[in-house]
Amino acid sequence: MKIFWCLLKKELRTCFLSPIAFVVMFFFWVLMGGNFVWLLYQLANGAPILTATQLLFGGPFISFSLPIVIPLITMRLFAEERKMGTLEALLTTPLKISALVLSKFFGALFFYLVLWLPIFIFAFILAKFSPSTEIVFPDWGALFAGSLGVVLVGGLYVAIGLLMSSLTSNQIVAAIAGFAVLFCTFLAGVFLAYTTANPVGRMLGHYFSSYTHMYDFARGIVNTHVIIFYLSATAWVLFAAVRVVESKRL
Amino acid sequence: MIKVSNVTKKYPARLAVDDVSFEVARGEIVGFLGPNGAGKTTTMRMLTGYLEANAGDIEVAGFNLLTHPEEVRRRIGYLPESCPLYLEMRVDEYLWFRAELKGVGLAARRAKVNDVKERCGLTEVGKRIIGQLSKGYRQRVGLADALVHDPELLILDEPTVGLDPYQIRQVRELIRQLAEEHTILLSTHILPEVEAVCERILIINEGKIVASDTSENLHRMLHSTVLLEMEVQAKKEDALMELDALQGINVRECNMLAGGWLWIEMDAATPALRTRLFDLVVAKGWRLRALTEKEYSLEDTFVEITQRAKEGAV
Repeated sequence: MKIFWCLLKKELRTCFLSPIAFVVMFFFWVLMGGNFVWLLYQLANGAPILTATQLLFGGPFISFSLPIVIPLITMRLFAEERKMGTLEALLTTPLKISALVLSKFFGALFFYLVLWLPIFIFAFILAKFSPSTEIVFPDWGALFAGSLGVVLVGGLYVAIGLLMSSLTSNQIVAAIAGFAVLFCTFLAGVFLAYTTANPVGRMLGHYFSSYTHMYDFARGIVNTHVIIFYLSATAWVLFAAVRVVESKRL
Repeated sequence: MIKVSNVTKKYPARLAVDDVSFEVARGEIVGFLGPNGAGKTTTMRMLTGYLEANAGDIEVAGFNLLTHPEEVRRRIGYLPESCPLYLEMRVDEYLWFRAELKGVGLAARRAKVNDVKERCGLTEVGKRIIGQLSKGYRQRVGLADALVHDPELLILDEPTVGLDPYQIRQVRELIRQLAEEHTILLSTHILPEVEAVCERILIINEGKIVASDTSENLHRMLHSTVLLEMEVQAKKEDALMELDALQGINVRECNMLAGGWLWIEMDAATPALRTRLFDLVVAKGWRLRALTEKEYSLEDTFVEITQRAKEGAV
């Protein structure tokens, strides 16, 4: 546990010191700003204030950017350590590989959540200037559910990015592999959920499409089966990453 | 301290370490010598638990590496081959992080970090970013890292590679000081280095240990002959022909020098053959300006040993 904290501190420091982190942050915040402007535009054109959290969390700008943004955050996690040889220095200390993987996971997830912080500024602005008629913004329940969705979906995405990074010593390969996996599953989910007439396909799509899940969370719908899906999938992917790091020693 | 028994490591394409066994006693400085690609780094990586052996047993300080990997790693200070460091960190930060990672308690950490910084000559550069340090300083940071948890055993993979001669001397001096309290296994392909620092030499070639002894013993074991050097003024063909005719002399090398002088190096069965050489020179009316007995260099020994091992294998 002590070692985990030590590694996590180091990971956070590296994360916030790397220039790529700030580039990612810049572009994500530009997207978020765009998303907010688009949201205001919708509201100005008569969309009910009820849909505000939906657009805030589940806007297509942001949903479609996540498969790119997250691999950019996670690509260096193991690939850089491998390339620089520092993985050897780490693995020859008395640490547990699971502690190493978890520290990297939580470090990257924390950075990802920091990316989302402006959402509270936007929510504040909406709350401040929304007309105090029959329905008031914010709906705290929906805001909380949306945040939970961000954490859960982000967790799985970060875990997948981390797994890709653990497989290679090339950051570009890690980023592209992560992007490929995330984007394919994302698109497959969206297509299955919204464009097929086949009921089984639609059900399947709704079961694993993160776009749909995010949309539900942002409306304040919290399904336990979705929570369990994300937690178990994240745990499984992280376990796979531990095994990958272990097996590369053979 | 180290007990390696019948360890084998296969990579997909080749056999890197082939049924290797050796022991290192507590307090020894052992040099691990071999050409590039001989299996030195692989062996060291297996000792530190970074790589897993395909077969065989490794024991460090009485702990089996397979069953107690953390106990083993706690007792080893390891400097990997390329001296990997986090280039974006400051020296102090890095050593602090590594000390914490290796379980040096908060109470002792500051003293420990300061101590290794002083021993490795890093006190001045504590606030500098590692990426901006020269290779020599980085190597010292790596050494400081290996020492920071006060390990019983130091494993140093090519600790002087890439350093300038002055830095090499400093690092060797440091290693010699460390040897007073630690057991050291260091690898190198630079021969004078082992002679300068180590008490015992392990020679590895193509994944096999081909020799293990002190450097003097290795010389003695290999060379029943002595090495003679002679400088004469004579025709090269004549000199070679006459020397060939002499019983117990085997010319290794013959070079022309300025002014018609020849420099000849030869193996002789006994040092007493020098008088025969002198007689020969007088009889032929050559002029002589040098005739000495020389030490075989470790280089010769090394080439000979690896050669013999190869022939033995064939």
